[in-house]
Parts: sequence; structure tokens; C-alpha cells
Amino acid sequence: MRSDALKAWAVLAVEVGAAVLLATGVVALLEARLGVPNASNVYLVAVAAIAIRHGVAGASLTAIVAVLVYDFFFTEPYFTLTVSDPDEWLHLILLLFVAVTVGQLAALQRSRAESALAREHESRALFDVTRTLATRTSTFEALPAIAAALAREASMRQVWFSLGTDDADERVAGQSSTGAVPMPARGYAVLHRDASGGAAAWTYVRGPAFGRGSASASQPASERHVRVRMEQAGRPIGSLWAAHGARDGLPDAPTTTLLRVAADLVAQALAHDRVEEETRRAEIAQQSDALKSALLESVSHDLRTPLASIRASAGTLMDPDLALDPDEVRASASSIDREAQRLNRLVGNLLDLGRIEAGVLRVAEDALDLEDVISGAISLVEGRAGLRRIEVVGDEGAVLGDPILLEEALVNLLDNAIRHTPEGSAIRISTASADRSAERPVHVRLSVEDSGPGVPDEALPRIFDRFFRAGGGRRPTGTGTGIGLAVVRGFVEAMGGHVVARRSALGGLAIDVDLRAAEIPATVDAAT
Amino acid sequence: MTSEHETGPSVLIVEDDDATRSALRRDLVARGFRVDDVRDGHGALLRWEARRPDVVLIDLGLPDMDGTRIIGRIRREATTPILVISARDGEATKVEALELGADDYITKPFGTAELHARLRAVLRRAGGAAADAGGRVAVGPLVLDALRHDVTVNGTRVDLTPREFEVLRVLLAHPGRLVTRGRLLRAVWGEAYRSEDHYVHVYVSQVRRKLAAADPAGALRRLIVTEPGVGYRVGGE
Repeated sequence: MRSDALKAWAVLAVEVGAAVLLATGVVALLEARLGVPNASNVYLVAVAAIAIRHGVAGASLTAIVAVLVYDFFFTEPYFTLTVSDPDEWLHLILLLFVAVTVGQLAALQRSRAESALAREHESRALFDVTRTLATRTSTFEALPAIAAALAREASMRQVWFSLGTDDADERVAGQSSTGAVPMPARGYAVLHRDASGGAAAWTYVRGPAFGRGSASASQPASERHVRVRMEQAGRPIGSLWAAHGARDGLPDAPTTTLLRVAADLVAQALAHDRVEEETRRAEIAQQSDALKSALLESVSHDLRTPLASIRASAGTLMDPDLALDPDEVRASASSIDREAQRLNRLVGNLLDLGRIEAGVLRVAEDALDLEDVISGAISLVEGRAGLRRIEVVGDEGAVLGDPILLEEALVNLLDNAIRHTPEGSAIRISTASADRSAERPVHVRLSVEDSGPGVPDEALPRIFDRFFRAGGGRRPTGTGTGIGLAVVRGFVEAMGGHVVARRSALGGLAIDVDLRAAEIPATVDAAT
Repeated sequence: MTSEHETGPSVLIVEDDDATRSALRRDLVARGFRVDDVRDGHGALLRWEARRPDVVLIDLGLPDMDGTRIIGRIRREATTPILVISARDGEATKVEALELGADDYITKPFGTAELHARLRAVLRRAGGAAADAGGRVAVGPLVLDALRHDVTVNGTRVDLTPREFEVLRVLLAHPGRLVTRGRLLRAVWGEAYRSEDHYVHVYVSQVRRKLAAADPAGALRRLIVTEPGVGYRVGGE
């Protein structure tokens, strides 16, 4: 600190010396060579120049030195410092007057320029903060960007937000630069505000702050910390912290305003986030209630229907009074078997849906041969396909996916197609290499189309929703639970794929499953 | 308890659910098996010691011990075929049981027709060696000659790459069994398989496709059946 002041004085001394020397040279030239009787006004230029650069004090010094030098060299008696002539006094006073006036004007100008710059920093910082907050998905995620903008515009070494309802549990939530957040170990200045939150003053608090960072470093000796508390409805929610160099002193008024307004904006945004989150939770709870009743309604019906038919068939078989021929026995037994399988598929889909929603699906990523997956799925459903023809078109190599999930998804699609296709009509499975697009790179499209009644266009986007049934409400046949296609979507998306429904050229519904194509390395094909 | 049929193969059923156990018992007795059944692991080990059945049908979820322990114990002493009854979604358990030496599995709930087909397949496998002394394996129209490194279908040579040949050879060495993917990988690629383990499906599909091309009658269509997430089941004939 001392060496800096010395350096400033040295600079001033050199500049004053140089200015006076230069002016003296000019005066000497004018008076001795050109015969100008009194050229002392030249010193005005030197005084004005120093006034602009160094203000009133430097200019006054220049004036005094100039008068002494002029007195020494150019007035009689020469080479003495006696100021006897009243002219000399007048000249000195004039020079001092110019020094003070020009110095003050220059200082005013300079401080205006500085405050304009500060205002520019402030408004740019506030613009950055509000823009970051306006485009945020969550305030929490926006905090590092806001801290960085504040650090840049307020010239702080580091700015960070820590969130918590009291000092003990404040945790660093966003910081302007990576690296450890310093621990204000010796003390810090905290901003006190009046009741309206407006006028503010810094108060020094001794002792360590309790706010903890994920990684806190001890406070460097050359660093000081300031803290602006953030409140929400009168309750503390955290603080804005800033570290500045010890020599910079406490933040000036514009910087203080900037920090205060930024802290308020962030507090407001956090409050807004909280309200939004609460609303979202309430909505989810409501949806989940609606879902549960839909589930109960759907499942209780769909579980009971096959159970009823199983009990009826078993009752027939058990009745000692009935004389059944072998064909009738077989028919009853196969009805029991068929309905039990249906129940099993329903329970399986319910479990799958549960796993999808609970997020516990484990997904393998293998290169799968589509032909293999398709023939596996067909062999699982052909028993229930009856007289419906399942055609397979196209041969599009390998996709990336989980063998079990993909097979189950395909079985569900085929079951759905079988349910809606009249006996004797066709179901088509086709595969095609789909166009490469920006969002979805190389993928293979697997389509299942049926020749059933189809689904109205406006309902197409909803058919993958849980408990949605084409035609609305419960169909009298009671087949299908409205969860098969939800499981398909869950599985396909878990494998990084995508499903869409459209109207099929066969007349019914077409469901396109886009899966990531597996690129088989040349070494695998060569297989030497 | 042993049934009065003394001619058929003997089967030990290890299953803790009474309804399932008695249904299996009725079905297998009717199909000519000599049936012995127990409801826990301890009983299973005692019965295995005393009777040495021809085939063991075991549910992995037993009240007193993990079914895989019984599989390990039986495998240390004998090559008796073991068929695992497993619950749905238990792929990891299935694979573990198969790697310990179980021959195949069947998922609850299953039809008795399917169970019987699996039992027949594992018993047939136990009946005779897969390859003859010259390293020739014949399955229907397919003949694999390990010495001459050559595969024919109906006498026509099928052009397989060395790795595809090896895949087919390993699979055919286990007729009637379920070969897990891990087992196939280790047998074909050795321990250095890591880089290619995602492509096993692709190799098997290539083999299947080449065989299908040489077999217009479709006699080999069900020779290698994929069990998603587990491995490959090799048809016995």
C-alpha cells in the first residue's frame, strides 16, 4: 500500500517537474531570444495540463513550483527566491486560481466518466442476471452464470450463492468460477438495509462465516468478503457472497446497488421456482389419483373376466353330473389354458408398467438381428393369431437394443394388431432403413400394421397413454387393458428408440418403432 | 413316493408350492414318468443321494436354501439333466443356474406340453454322445464334420466363416440344452471375447440365415432358438 502511494507521488513529481521544465524552456526562449517582456503565462498551460491529469493538488503544486522557478530565473534579483514584486504575487494567485478551477473541472469530468462506466457495468450485469433468469429452466442451474456475470461486471474475484435457511446450513449452490470457494475465516462485511430494503450500509462482522462450500479453501490474506442476505417473505433463504481484493475497499454505491438488486432478483426467482414446483407436485398427485382409479377400474374388470371364464370351465369339468365327451373336456381345458395365458400377459404388462414408472428398468445394449427378434415374437403369438396372416416384409439387419424388451414390445404390438384384425385378414411387420436426420441418426424402422378398423386421426397421438382405448371408454369385448401400448412406448424409449402411430395403408393402425441401427464392425462380418 | 410305473424315466420334482407340485406330479405320472417329489432343498439333497433320478426338475425359490446350491451339488457328482423352473423376469437367476450346469429352464406359468417337450429334450441329450468318434454331428439334414471343418445340408456344402463354423460346432455339441451367451462366448472366443460380445446375436443370425438358405424345406428352422436375454436352445433333432 505504501509503495503504491510512493509510486503515485513519484509519478506526480516527475510529471510536475517535466511540465515546469518544458514551460520554463519555452519562457526562456520567448523572453531571451524573442524579447517578450513577460512570458510567465506559458506556465498556465503547464498548470492546466497537470490539473487535467492529477486534479487540484497536483496543479497547485505545479503553480507554486512554477512561480518559484520563474522568480528564480526570470525576475530581478536573478537567482534568488525573494518575491518582492506585487506582480509576482498576482501571477502566483492567478496560477493557483487556474490550477484549482481546471483541476476541479477535470476531476468532475473524470468522476462523471467513471460513474457512467459504473452505470454501464451495473446495467449490463443486471441485464445479464435478468436474461439468465428469464431463460432459465431452474434458478438453481442459472446461479453459476449469474455469479459469473456479477463477478465480471462488479470486478469481484469470485461471486457465489449459498442457499440455506440459516448460517449453519448454507451450502454453496453456484459460483462464478470453478475451484474452491474461500471460507471467510476472519470476518466479512454484511449489507444492512432499512425496512424498505432500499438504503443500505455495510457492517463488518468478525469471526468465521458458517457457510460451507463443497470445497472451501481458507481465505487468502489479500482477500475480503462481503455478503448480501437473500430473503423470501421475511425468512432467510441464503446469501450472495463476493470476494474482493483487500485494497479495493468496500464496494462503492453502484456496486452495492448491483449486488443488492441481483440478490433480490435471485431470491424472487427462487421463490417463483418453489411455487411452480408445488403446483407441479399438486398436478402430479392429482394425475396419479386419476391414474390409480383408472387402473383399478381397468384392472379389476380385465382380471375378473378371464377368471370368470376359468371358473366356469373348471366348474363344468368338476361337475360329476355332467357326462362330457372328450372333445368337450378338451374344449373346457383349453379355455382354462387360454384365459390363464391372457391373465399372465396382463399381469406381465402390469409388472412391466410398474417397472417403467418406477424407473428400475435395466436395459441391455446388444446388436440384435431384427429377423431373429421378429421370428421369436411371431412364435410367441401365433397360437392366438388364429386365421390372421402375419406377413414379414423387408430385411433390415441389426438394431441396438435389449433382446427381452424388444421382443416383449413386439409381442405387445402383435397382440394389439391381432385383437383388432378380423380373422382371415393380414397383419404386416415391415422393416426399413429410415432416413438419417439430425435428431435421430442412423435408425431402423420396424412397423406393425393391421387391417382392423383403425383409430381416428385425432386419437392417434394418445394411443400410447396408459388406459387409453380406441373408441373411448370400455369396449364391450373387454379385450385389451390399455396398457400394452404404454409398455411398448416405455420399452422402446428405454432403448433409445421412438414410437409413432399412423393410419396404415392396410386400413387399420400402423405403429412405427424407430430403433438405433447397430453398426456391425467389418471384423465381425469377416470373422476370420 | 414312487409311482407304480416302473418303466419310464425317473424324475425328482423339487417345488415348494403344493398346488404346482401335485399338478406336475399328476401330469408326469400320466405321461409315464416315475415321479418323486419334495418341497424343500434339504429333502431334495437327501432324495438325490438315495435315488439318483434320471432327471431333476427344480424350482429355484425354495424355502430353506437357494436352488442354485442344489444344482452345484448335483453337478459335482453327476451329469444328470437338470431342468429349472423359474419365475418371470429372473433372467439373471436363470443365467446363473445355467452357468452352474442346469440344462434348460422353463418359466412359470408354463403349459405341461411345453414342460414335457423340454424334459424329453434334456433326457435325449443324456442318452447319447452328440458327436461320433470322427467328430461328425448329424442333426436331420445337417452334418457338421469337425475334422474337415465342413458343414453340409442335404449333402450341399454350406460356406461358413471359421468363426461361424465354431459357433455352430459349439451349439451342436449341446443338443437339447440351453447354451448361455456367456458360455458360447467363452467357448468360441476364449477369454478375449470382450470386444465382440455385443455381436453374438449377429453371428448366430448369420449362421441361421446360411443354414436356412441351404434348407428350403425348413427342416432346420427351429434348430437354434433364441431365448432373449439368456442364450440359445439347440434342437435335439
